[in-house]
Amino acid sequence: MMGANNELVIEARSLTKVFHDFWHRPKICAVKEINLEVKRGEIFGLLGPNGSGKSTTIKMILGLLHPTSGHLTVLGKSPRDVAVKAKIGFMPEESYLYKYLTAAEILNFYANLYGLSGNAKRDIVERLINQVGLNAARSRPIGEFSKGMARRVGLAQCLLNDPDLILLDEPTSGLDPIACREVKDLLLSLARKGKTILICSHHLADMQDICDRVAILLNGEVCSQGTVHDLLINPDTLRLSLQSPSRETLSAILNYIEQETGQRPQVDHTGRTLESVYIETVTRRPVSL
Amino acid sequence: MMPIRTIAIACLTVREAVRSKLLLSLAILLVAGLIGLPLLIAGDNTLSGKIQVILTYTLGFATTILSITTLWTACGGFSKEIQDRRLYLVITKPLHRYELWLGKWLGMLTMNLGLLALTGITISVMAHQTIHRSTDSLMVKRQVSEQFLMARQGLQPLTPDWSDFVKKTTQRLIESGRLQEKMMPAVIQQKLIEELSIKRFTIPPGGGAQFSFKRPETQENSHDLLLSYKFDSTRPERSPVAARWTMGTNPEHQIQVDVTNYPGVPAILAVINDETAGTNILTFTYQRLDTNSQATLLMADRTQAPELLVPYGSFGMNLIRGLFIILCRLAFLAALGLMVGCLLSTPVAVFAAFFIIILVASSGYVESVATSGVFFVPHEGPASEQTWLNQSILHLFRVFHVVTQPLTKLDPVPLLATGRVVSGQMTLQALVWLAGLYSAITALIGITLFNRRELG
Repeated sequence: MMGANNELVIEARSLTKVFHDFWHRPKICAVKEINLEVKRGEIFGLLGPNGSGKSTTIKMILGLLHPTSGHLTVLGKSPRDVAVKAKIGFMPEESYLYKYLTAAEILNFYANLYGLSGNAKRDIVERLINQVGLNAARSRPIGEFSKGMARRVGLAQCLLNDPDLILLDEPTSGLDPIACREVKDLLLSLARKGKTILICSHHLADMQDICDRVAILLNGEVCSQGTVHDLLINPDTLRLSLQSPSRETLSAILNYIEQETGQRPQVDHTGRTLESVYIETVTRRPVSL
Repeated sequence: MMPIRTIAIACLTVREAVRSKLLLSLAILLVAGLIGLPLLIAGDNTLSGKIQVILTYTLGFATTILSITTLWTACGGFSKEIQDRRLYLVITKPLHRYELWLGKWLGMLTMNLGLLALTGITISVMAHQTIHRSTDSLMVKRQVSEQFLMARQGLQPLTPDWSDFVKKTTQRLIESGRLQEKMMPAVIQQKLIEELSIKRFTIPPGGGAQFSFKRPETQENSHDLLLSYKFDSTRPERSPVAARWTMGTNPEHQIQVDVTNYPGVPAILAVINDETAGTNILTFTYQRLDTNSQATLLMADRTQAPELLVPYGSFGMNLIRGLFIILCRLAFLAALGLMVGCLLSTPVAVFAAFFIIILVASSGYVESVATSGVFFVPHEGPASEQTWLNQSILHLFRVFHVVTQPLTKLDPVPLLATGRVVSGQMTLQALVWLAGLYSAITALIGITLFNRRELG
């Protein structure tokens, strides 16, 4: 866990959401009595297949949906409280942006909604445009942007208010691996600064890279929850890594292990990830938008 | 903080209309309609007719177009953004939903303000240019200009004091014993006054009628006075009637004008204002010259007596007041559209909003039901025979009639089209009722419903 302390930023107890039909008859139970605790400074991941209740949970945390039953507090208050919203940054899965506005205009608009004005607004908008790498495209309407570029605007608007809690729905979706790495680095640096981050994603590798804790949802219920390390670790097996020894030495080691444990260990070469190969290759050339 | 957010939403609403070319398309459509409509409508080919077409049809056209587009865009204001989920990001920002609602409403008002200003300028230029470029004589141009391009207050003729006569006649009738036993003196007096009123406006061949008006103290003298009148004939044939108008009672200072008018056609008599200076009571006598005619004329019914139109103010200010009232109506329509739009999807919201408007527009029928007190049962049926359902619906109609009255009554177009003054009182009423109370109530309902709505 990176900079987490015990202060709860999100607390959900027996949180349930039932959707009703036109006649108010229960139609579907999207979230069933889930319990979640997200602590300040941690990166928490919500995992699960489509329809597992991730988005519904996020919408309840944002105050867009009202829980049918259970208890939910965000930063110690009701998620519908405007004071809470002032401390939250949200980046949705799709870029629900006004396509006729330019990147700079849309950031200025959202900054106005956060009550920013004057130099403070100008400075933060400039900083974020540069940070997400959209300086060259700042005057182009968002309707002309690629999905990845629109995601960058989405990320920038999410950071306008220097939020305490950041909610991200598929933050790396549509981004190229470099941008994806940059986003992950940015999130890690934000967590180090004490920001709490809740991520909802299908990109398990990304989640594994950055999350401190994860919860896996299935059919609206939390099936598994814990630190990434605890979930991934298999206490019954060990991996031993060492610089490739000579054939004779390796044979002696294997024989020794087999003699002591009665099991013949598997031997293979450790490989790099495709991501690291891609980044190494592409970063040799400058990338233009 | 509140104004920044509300203004941001208002600016976004205007910007969307500009970027989506909605504002430009509307402006082009409006100007094209305002210019094209008078060319398509023939009228009676007189200068007066042309100006009336410009004022009546173009104002009506602009009001209709702006009402429809306001209602349409207001209905889509929320529902479209909810549908394409753009509102998600806005709602998650620290702003109250009423700020969002208010911002949208103000944005729509700003757009309408701009379009109404464009309408006003176009109509004003067209009316002035039509008179300026006309080949009619200077006198005709002046008359038309005086009649239409000026705000005039309509004065009703003074009612003669019949009280002594009515009392004495009533007493005489009671003493003569020719009346029904149960008839109250007050009823008799009322009937006598009604009879005298009808008689006053009934002019037999060779006969005449006199009308006196009290001149307002603050009236300006640089423009003509206009006497507006109309009469109907008891004969089916509509042959012209020759008559003489005499102004004043002193034979030495009387002004006489011979006129020939057709029954049912409104007529205007222009009187140079200087010639009436120093007179507080202006008396006009109508004397028929056609002694051998068979037709009796009815100068006016009780609700539309001859009217003296006295100068009140400039056309420009009158037009601005009229357009302001239209803006107040559009403010209400925007509130209505937003209210429906935050609950329903765009097509359903549009349908629902137009249904409400049609209901309001059918207030003539509502009024007749509300005042006649008859619904479902035949007219001659007594009230006691009406079912509870009929009674309930009747009460509903009465309430609806009272509620919708300001929406239908506060219409400046007929006043502007006839050169009548759109009074400050009417403007204030529109501001208080339409832009204030009605919009506020609609907004309150809309915001409450919107607050409760989930955006999932």
